[in-house]
Amino acid sequence: MMIMITGGSGSGKSSYAEDCITKISKNCKKYYIATMQVFDEEGKQRIERHKNMRSGKNFKTIEQPCNVENAIEKMDIKDPSKRTVLLECMSNLLANEMFSDETIQDRHMIMDKITDGIRQLKNEVRHLVIVTNNVFEDGTVYDDATMEYIKILGCINERLSEIADQVIEVVVGIPVILKEGM
Amino acid sequence: MELVIGGYSQGKLNYVLNNYDKNAYQVYDGASLALGTLEKIATENKVVILDHFHCWVKERIRQGEDPESEIMDFLDQRFEDLVIISDEIGNGIVPMDAFEREYRERTGRILVMAAKRADKVVRVICGIGQRIK
Repeated sequence: MMIMITGGSGSGKSSYAEDCITKISKNCKKYYIATMQVFDEEGKQRIERHKNMRSGKNFKTIEQPCNVENAIEKMDIKDPSKRTVLLECMSNLLANEMFSDETIQDRHMIMDKITDGIRQLKNEVRHLVIVTNNVFEDGTVYDDATMEYIKILGCINERLSEIADQVIEVVVGIPVILKEGM
Repeated sequence: MELVIGGYSQGKLNYVLNNYDKNAYQVYDGASLALGTLEKIATENKVVILDHFHCWVKERIRQGEDPESEIMDFLDQRFEDLVIISDEIGNGIVPMDAFEREYRERTGRILVMAAKRADKVVRVICGIGQRIK
């Protein structure tokens, strides 16, 4: 099963996603794929906060800022039916893929690369929960690179919600079901 | 307590006012609340509508204060006949400015806490309210 969870900054989406995967992960090993890279003190604190939220919930963390499919071989449990993944989050993964050193310039290549990676991941685990981000509603016109980023994230969200069994928006901590079907 | 959220200019206040008789409520604007007003509001006889709550949060953060515990204390004193209206401000690109980032995050988390305590949460879009709790 694949569940995609979206929401804004401070919406409670991470916390909801953790509860969600914990609920469906009976008898499975829980992996947390972390895509965020740390560049400064604020990033460090953000990661600490998330680590504290996860502590005691038995997640095994895999750092995977790019090439998300490479996380598969890092899992110590080899039976796909015995592992579940919480991937957090799509907005960081895309930023890393777009703005890291080996930049792929083509919009479609980036979209294909990421969605292919997610598909592979989905096939190799029992349940996959993906956290993405609602960055689409501030009405601001940014520089070209940022607008391109927003556009691509929107397209990726569209594609992923097609293959997801369930899509949920978290609003002030409350889940609002966007796509239901399990 | 009822929490009403939604994007900028979505008709949240009108949505709320439509539910009440003209003489039954008093609107307080979070964008211009004088210091100490929350204490006064707590004993207001009419229904309290606290509009632009996010602006109040922003100002308290700017002053280096602790809006998280202030609002929780306020809710301990005043919970019945209270409507809190706030913009949803987290659905955009992470701001470059550190203060704006902090404001967004903390406002979001405060709203999550408020929603947890609320009897009812409504999200207003195009003037239409969707009850989500």
